[in-house]
Amino acid sequence: MTSPSPRDELPIISADGVSKSFGDNRVLNKVSLDVKTRDVVCVIGPSGSGKTTLLRCLAMLEIPSDGRIVMQGTTISTPAPDATVRKAARAVRPEIGMVFQHFNLWPHRTVLENVIEAPLLVKRTPRADAIATAEALLDKVGLADKRDAYPARLSGGQQQRVAIARALAMSPKVMLFDEPTSALDPELRREVLAVMRQLAAEGMTMLVVTHEMGFARHVGSRVVFMDRGEIVEEGAPAAFFSAPKTERAQRFLQQFED
Amino acid sequence: MFRYTFRWDTVWNNFDFLMSGLQMTLLLSVITLVLAMLLGLVLALLDMAKYAPLRWVGVGFGEVIRNTPILVQLLWVYYVLPIVFGIRIEAFTALVVGLSVYQAAFISEVYRSGIQAVPKGHREAAQVLGLTPVQSFRRIVLPQAIRMTLPPLASNFVQLIKFSSLGAVISVNEITRRGMELSASTFRPLEIFTFIAVVYFFICWPLAMGIRLWERRLLAQ
Repeated sequence: MTSPSPRDELPIISADGVSKSFGDNRVLNKVSLDVKTRDVVCVIGPSGSGKTTLLRCLAMLEIPSDGRIVMQGTTISTPAPDATVRKAARAVRPEIGMVFQHFNLWPHRTVLENVIEAPLLVKRTPRADAIATAEALLDKVGLADKRDAYPARLSGGQQQRVAIARALAMSPKVMLFDEPTSALDPELRREVLAVMRQLAAEGMTMLVVTHEMGFARHVGSRVVFMDRGEIVEEGAPAAFFSAPKTERAQRFLQQFED
Repeated sequence: MFRYTFRWDTVWNNFDFLMSGLQMTLLLSVITLVLAMLLGLVLALLDMAKYAPLRWVGVGFGEVIRNTPILVQLLWVYYVLPIVFGIRIEAFTALVVGLSVYQAAFISEVYRSGIQAVPKGHREAAQVLGLTPVQSFRRIVLPQAIRMTLPPLASNFVQLIKFSSLGAVISVNEITRRGMELSASTFRPLEIFTFIAVVYFFICWPLAMGIRLWERRLLAQ
């Protein structure tokens, strides 16, 4: 075994004192969070607690009002990014994969075209290689036979698995999931969760905003509980779910008991 | 009226003359449509620009064009532009410029609604994957927007064919102008303008019907 280099010990991605306001509405309040290599961090909390906004800040879809986003020691997002930060952001962009609640597949492209688009355009991967990788990924999410179908022909669960394959095609260092099963019927959630569980088992670093308590408990390596724009409690899933320390977390978890 | 003797042979005897006008009408409409589509895209992009002064230019231009009569605009292009710039503009050029600008102001709205109908999430997915804003617009937004804007664009084409008759006022030899000339020399306006109206109708009507069917099929998808 070789000892990990210092760079590997740095968190893959961190929020450092991140706040975000929309007008007068403060959605995030000085949130700090580290996601380390092979972490599967599950962010839970009531709706409107700022979970999705935090994720969108990490994905650089929102610019924080205060604080910064850091990827392996490099600042990639600040309230007023200078040229260095913007350049760093462009460089690491493909290393952050994101899966949306509503899949956001491009409807005018087939499944395969959805998956190869970014490798072709952003990474300049030769077409044959991009297709080979895409086929392997589609096989992995169980949709090899759908490669030439258009998204509208797929079920929600299938669309979300394609979206996961599309994100994986850029070989990201971290995958961000924004309530990936919330838009799905219960019977379709399982197939998406299975793919996510497999990814976690393979050692993918993941940050998952979710209402799936079972997933957080059994697959998560750490649970972060948010409420009103702040991280209220965080810890190992076993301890958090069996004995939450804060009253707010206790009250939140009670809803899931029956 | 009731004692009127129709002389349809006035039309048949000058059929080639009138059809050369129709050729001009169609040529004008096609050239103008292409120019209006390009100019309309520029206007739509200006309307949606992040930089406010660009937006003002786009919006202001569109408002002025949409809220003044096309005939006044044509006369303005034909008679005023030459005075302002000290150049001679051919009637044909003036008509193409005037019609393109006018139609572009409407087409830009068509584009804008098409572009805005593409869900924001599609662009966000592209952004997260590292596509540049230009790549995302060209590969993700535009192809979807175009699909939605094709039927309204085709309707614009029908409008253009009809508007091109205004060329008669600035003596462009399209079919209406040909009709005016023929009517002046034969004193047979009833036959001539009736024939011309029928010609316009049988070009525009099938196009409009086709577009309606096409739209229905797109909606069904």
